[in-house]
Amino acid sequence: MIRLKNVSKIYRPNTVGLQNVSLHIKPGDFVSVVGQSGTGKTTLVKLLIAEERPSKGNVVIGGWDISRIRQSDVPTLRRQIGVVFQDFKLLPKKTVFENVSFALEVCGTPSGRMRKIVPQVMKIVGLEEKMKRYPRQLSGGEQQRVVIARSLVHRPKILVADEPTGNLDSINTKEIIDLLKKINEFGTTVLLVTHNREVVNSLRKRVITLEDGVIVQDQEEGKYRL
Amino acid sequence: MFVPFFRIIKFALQNFWRNIWLSLITISILVLTLVTVNILITLNFLGQTAVESVESKIDVSVYFNPDASEEAVQNVRSYLLGLSQVKDVNYISAEEALEKFRESHADNEEIMASLEELEENPLGAALVIKAHNPNDYTFILETLDNPEFISFIQDKNYDDHKEIIERIDSITGKLQRFGIGLSAVFVIIAVLIVFNTIRVAVYTHREEVGIMKLVGATNWFVRAPFLLEGIIYSLIATGITIAIIYPAAYFAEPYITTFFDNVTVGLVDYYNVNFILIFVSQFVGMSLLNIISTGFALDRYLKV
Repeated sequence: MIRLKNVSKIYRPNTVGLQNVSLHIKPGDFVSVVGQSGTGKTTLVKLLIAEERPSKGNVVIGGWDISRIRQSDVPTLRRQIGVVFQDFKLLPKKTVFENVSFALEVCGTPSGRMRKIVPQVMKIVGLEEKMKRYPRQLSGGEQQRVVIARSLVHRPKILVADEPTGNLDSINTKEIIDLLKKINEFGTTVLLVTHNREVVNSLRKRVITLEDGVIVQDQEEGKYRL
Repeated sequence: MFVPFFRIIKFALQNFWRNIWLSLITISILVLTLVTVNILITLNFLGQTAVESVESKIDVSVYFNPDASEEAVQNVRSYLLGLSQVKDVNYISAEEALEKFRESHADNEEIMASLEELEENPLGAALVIKAHNPNDYTFILETLDNPEFISFIQDKNYDDHKEIIERIDSITGKLQRFGIGLSAVFVIIAVLIVFNTIRVAVYTHREEVGIMKLVGATNWFVRAPFLLEGIIYSLIATGITIAIIYPAAYFAEPYITTFFDNVTVGLVDYYNVNFILIFVSQFVGMSLLNIISTGFALDRYLKV
């Protein structure tokens, strides 16, 4: 599903984001990427959504080499990858329904289809009763669930979550991680970027550890070791 | 295909409404620019009308010797009518010339007394020549230096009107240059204001645009509402300009007519006849300016 071959990303003049990284993530995998700040985790996410291009090597997603992807093709890629960030990125003046449907609106989806899809994804994240609320009326965990719902509207094969629990307490963190596991059980490949030790250790899933832009560890049932 | 199109319109109108004060200021600047341009057009039209008005009054008179025969004068007239530059040649007999002279100098007792003393008509026949183009009078008069005619001709006059036309041309030219300069200044200001407005709108919507890009909106879908917003500004500004110009033209026309010695100028008719050329081209020009400013602001601040 996701394959990186000898990928390096150098930011000018000579800051190393990633260095000679090769990895393969199979469909349906749940992978945690861990590392301290500045080790290349966010760079990896940016390469996967084509916000950055690799300086060297190839990034292949679902058989599609996106290393030199044309700018006009980036929207198509992003509809196939759901992305969740730490800082929620919800629009405060739109309701929950409108925030989730926004992802469909900007892609030209007819209103009728939006009215079918949005309740479905809201049910997956367990917020079907709160579609008319505004983000300020939700807890941190609920807001993050809305973001996850929005990332699911295009039924992506891959879900990338970059520090999704960074701003949350332990209870909300558990809710989010359980939701990600549930989504993974539906068959979606999940890439979780985090430096939350407890989360990683509780998952007992594959752990890739980055240090100075290099993979130092890749364990199938890994633990947080830094 | 229609869904995205109507969505874009919806987003554009939302952007317009959410930044309503900024939108109104931008429209005001565009209106000022267009009004200035239309003042320039009006001045240009009035200048041209003034020149045409004077030009239509221009004619050249050729005075013949009193002893020139009518046949000789008619020969000259026929010759002149054969020139492509000549529009009309009016024959004034010696008797008519004397009568006109008496009328124009009726208050001058000395001249009237002198005329009474003379037994014969001291004046000869005259030809009043009208050309298609006032610039051709010099050529026409030069053709009369032909030895065949020169012996009959006593005098020719033209110079007075030439000076008036040159002065009007000069004033009109200066007004045009000033108007163009002023319009250019306003156009530059309008471009900068629109650029800044769109920049602020883009900044205000950066979060929304960021999410749009994240969830897979095409660059076109991100750009189009801003571009459409620029066109909306142009449309409203053009409409307001029309609403200002027409009443102003109606109001000013009687005064302009008086200024031109009761010659009907037809300013409102001019705008009616050239409505598409004037206002549609202004709308298109302003829209293009807005689109270019918007595109530049989006490229600069959103990398879209």
